[in-house]
Amino acid sequence: MTNLTRRNFIKIGAAGTATVILAGCDSDERWVKIETYVRSPEEEVAGNPKWFATTCRQCGAGCGVIARVINGRAVKLEGNPEHPVNRGALCARGQAGLQVLYNPDRVQTAARQDGRATRNYEPIPWNTGINQLAEALNSAGSRVAVWVGTTTPGHLVDLFTRFTDAVGAPAPVRYDLNAGFGGYAPLSNASEGVLGQAGLPTYGIGDADFILSFGAEFLGSWISAAGYGREYGEFRSKRIGKARGYLVQLEPRMSNTAASADRWIPVHPGTEVLVAQAILRLIADGSAGSQERRDLAGQFAGDVDLEEIAEQTDISVETLQTLATTFANASRPLAIPGTPVTGRDNATEAVNAINALNVVAGNLGGSGGISLTPAAPINALAAPTYSNYQDAADLIAAMTNGEIDVLLVHGANPAFELPASAGFQAALENVGLVVSFASIVDETALYADLLLPDRVYLEGWGYDVATPGFQGLPIVSGQQPVVTPLYDNVAAADVLLTAAKSVSGAASALPWTDEVAFIKDIVTQLPEAAYPAEGDDVKWAYFLQHGGWWPAEAPESEAPEVSLGGPVELGPAMYEGDPAEYPYFLHLYMSPILGDGSGASQPWLQGTPDPMTTIAWQTWVEINPRTAEELDLDDGDIVRVSSPNGTIEAPIYRYPAIRPDTLAIPIGQGHEALSRYAKDRGANPVQLVSGTPGNDGNIAWSTVRVKLEKQGENKPLAVFESTVDQGEDVHIPF
Amino acid sequence: MAETNEHGHKWTMIVDLDKCNGCNACVVACHAENNVPIASEEEVIRGRGNHWIRIERYWEGEYPDVQARFIPVFCQQCGSAPCEPVCPTYASYHSTEQNLNVQVYNRCVGTRYCGNNCPYKVRFFNWWTPEWDSPLNEQLNPDVTVRSAGVMEKCTFCIQRIRRAENDATADGRELRDGDVQPACAQACPSRALVFGDLYDPESQVSERLPAERQFKLLENLGTEPAVYYLKGEDTHVGE
Ligand code: SF4
Ligand code: SF4
Ligand code: SF4
Repeated sequence: MTNLTRRNFIKIGAAGTATVILAGCDSDERWVKIETYVRSPEEEVAGNPKWFATTCRQCGAGCGVIARVINGRAVKLEGNPEHPVNRGALCARGQAGLQVLYNPDRVQTAARQDGRATRNYEPIPWNTGINQLAEALNSAGSRVAVWVGTTTPGHLVDLFTRFTDAVGAPAPVRYDLNAGFGGYAPLSNASEGVLGQAGLPTYGIGDADFILSFGAEFLGSWISAAGYGREYGEFRSKRIGKARGYLVQLEPRMSNTAASADRWIPVHPGTEVLVAQAILRLIADGSAGSQERRDLAGQFAGDVDLEEIAEQTDISVETLQTLATTFANASRPLAIPGTPVTGRDNATEAVNAINALNVVAGNLGGSGGISLTPAAPINALAAPTYSNYQDAADLIAAMTNGEIDVLLVHGANPAFELPASAGFQAALENVGLVVSFASIVDETALYADLLLPDRVYLEGWGYDVATPGFQGLPIVSGQQPVVTPLYDNVAAADVLLTAAKSVSGAASALPWTDEVAFIKDIVTQLPEAAYPAEGDDVKWAYFLQHGGWWPAEAPESEAPEVSLGGPVELGPAMYEGDPAEYPYFLHLYMSPILGDGSGASQPWLQGTPDPMTTIAWQTWVEINPRTAEELDLDDGDIVRVSSPNGTIEAPIYRYPAIRPDTLAIPIGQGHEALSRYAKDRGANPVQLVSGTPGNDGNIAWSTVRVKLEKQGENKPLAVFESTVDQGEDVHIPF
Repeated sequence: MAETNEHGHKWTMIVDLDKCNGCNACVVACHAENNVPIASEEEVIRGRGNHWIRIERYWEGEYPDVQARFIPVFCQQCGSAPCEPVCPTYASYHSTEQNLNVQVYNRCVGTRYCGNNCPYKVRFFNWWTPEWDSPLNEQLNPDVTVRSAGVMEKCTFCIQRIRRAENDATADGRELRDGDVQPACAQACPSRALVFGDLYDPESQVSERLPAERQFKLLENLGTEPAVYYLKGEDTHVGE
């Protein structure tokens, strides 16, 4: 029987300034046993599964997962039925997490790259890598930057933040596609106006009976797929006191959310706020709904010309009237702004315009409305904050100016997630040391000098404050290893804790011997949970067993203070690109299957058909069949799509449910690295947007115009649906 | 609508089309649970994509009055199954105890008659022995056979989970309870569009929910007696 430690016991030599010892193992939970099938420990019954509760890290939502483990192998991930975010459900990406663990292209030890982007990686002993980092951090002082993503576990973000605070560096930038494209920053900022305080809001979809969604793809990759998918099931159910919910989705291209809606309205791109303003006016002037709602609407309704709005939005006055009446009459109506709103100029104001509808609905802070996740119960656990793109752009500028000596990247892949014009890659040239903690070499790791691959979430420890939380509960989701780490990798938290010991100023801020000691320290401070637990050891054990901490009941919340003033008078979005040269609106969306693109490394996800087109493995350009006919384009014809910012090539898919003036492209493919399954496959349409921060400090994800050129080649589409048109004679080649 | 029978079970799935939103969580869950191989891009192009459960998407109408509908389709576990009588080796046969259509892999000689005769096109043929790049093979579920080349396969209602739940109940000295058996797809489904249970158990969720006003079965007119009930979507189209 071999005992392997979950934490490598590494002695680091006295080279250079640092002599640091990575903490050894002192308690039972840090040991696991590897067994062969033939010689099992007594309590192990061959073929009998064990179950471990942990947290999904395929997106930032923080769903609870139960892993089924047989003879040391993780063979299935399931939703944790107790966990308040997902209550037993798990999205497609969550299901595929096993392929993060067992991906054949994982980085198996620390490595140095001999020249950036050369792909010449030389494995090095971990102590060499950690020592190099420690020395660099020590001499960098405050000239250190940390870039993390929504999938970086919360405990690691907390440790990084303690480190940057201690050395006087700016707080970590937490920005990736989930946060950027999902509009976390404008959504959070706009909460101040309606909920009295900034923070990523939860939308109480399950308890609403009428939803007006302005392009929020909450059944796709938007913010919390499993959580909102679960809420949607409740929204569709009838309960005492609640009718079956009715969903109206306004967006230029029908997503799978719009396909599930009761009504899809192909609104003119960029005019969502006008729709909201028209509805407010109509409620104020109409007779539907309560007097209170009409009065509130009067406060927010500007001086609008309905006929003109009808023309601008392509929505008739009658339809606007129907929407207004239904909204005013519904008992719990809800308005949700999606990427078309958060990805435009003046995004926060645009969200305010939509939120005015929620003020009218009177749904702030309660069930069926928008609310903030209650603060985590102890000070050490602040609600996660997400950076705006401006913060990322400022960091890139600092890098360009040579102000950053060491850049640490974890859980984000800016080289893929940002357009080239953001200048990230170019800025790296002036950074002395770039360190990537990625478990598979991604586009950013291609530019790293040092690879210190973190353990993947199924082999690592952690916690995460789930944001958005659900049912009004603060949730600290727990993460623990479900298998013995596959490779010789050291947890990023341990790398940091070890290196910090020799960084002046940092050692006292990070006194924990190792990652588990830190997490345990936090967890044992938590107050009473939904399950009874007495004493530190029991608390810790139950935290792991239940998959986290949450109270039995939602804490009392006070009615939020609304400070939205009068009407939001915002015009249609400003589009980049001259309409004469760039005739089409570009509608980007995150693939509901591949998410932010990290899913492209997993064959289960690559092979899963896109719900709307049934295409797998590829990137495609969606075009209205009428427009395609005018341009003499057929399915699979390769086109070049260009914007003022960049160009990509991909095959055409004739899409019946998109405006004739709009082209839609999924984000997710187009990787230069990220495993054999992702590399050199499809195109990355992020290149089409501008890397210059907009007036709200965000990326204008949804306000770019493009043009289309036929390339004269055809690529067969990997579609699962039948390719035979109705009535067509086919020759069956069998 | 519980049906009565002294012995055995009548396993049934209800698919609520008002809740299914095409998220495909069920599809990935099924691949993971049942060791279903992933077809490469080239194979998908050749029409050899394989998913034991798939989300069919239908377009209706033309822009702007166009609608899309999702229908999850998997083996309907027909009571009178067209795939069964055509099998020369009894690889495709009916389990009278479970009321399931069962595929015995080591009897299958790959005539593909069953695939031809299934009106729902839910049977998939293994043209090659599936391969998993190491260490992806570690993810394989040891409770489920990895099928080899030349063998037909399809949705089993996660028969291994039914068996395990039965064994566990026997070991505990009790009857099987509603909810003990959860196929991987139904378990994952975020919106709870899929509900599974035993129609012979009058207390089960499926018995309590059926008959439903919105219920229908796929290609019912063929007389296949599917065990899967679909519930129509409930769109009311306010103001149209
Ligand atoms: S929504 Fe996010 S956290 Fe939840 S299962 Fe899906 S990927 Fe995992
Ligand atoms: S998991 Fe449920 S909602 Fe998602 S596609 Fe499958 S049946 Fe539909
Ligand atoms: S759906 Fe097809 S495979 Fe399943 S029992 Fe019916 S005929 Fe056989």
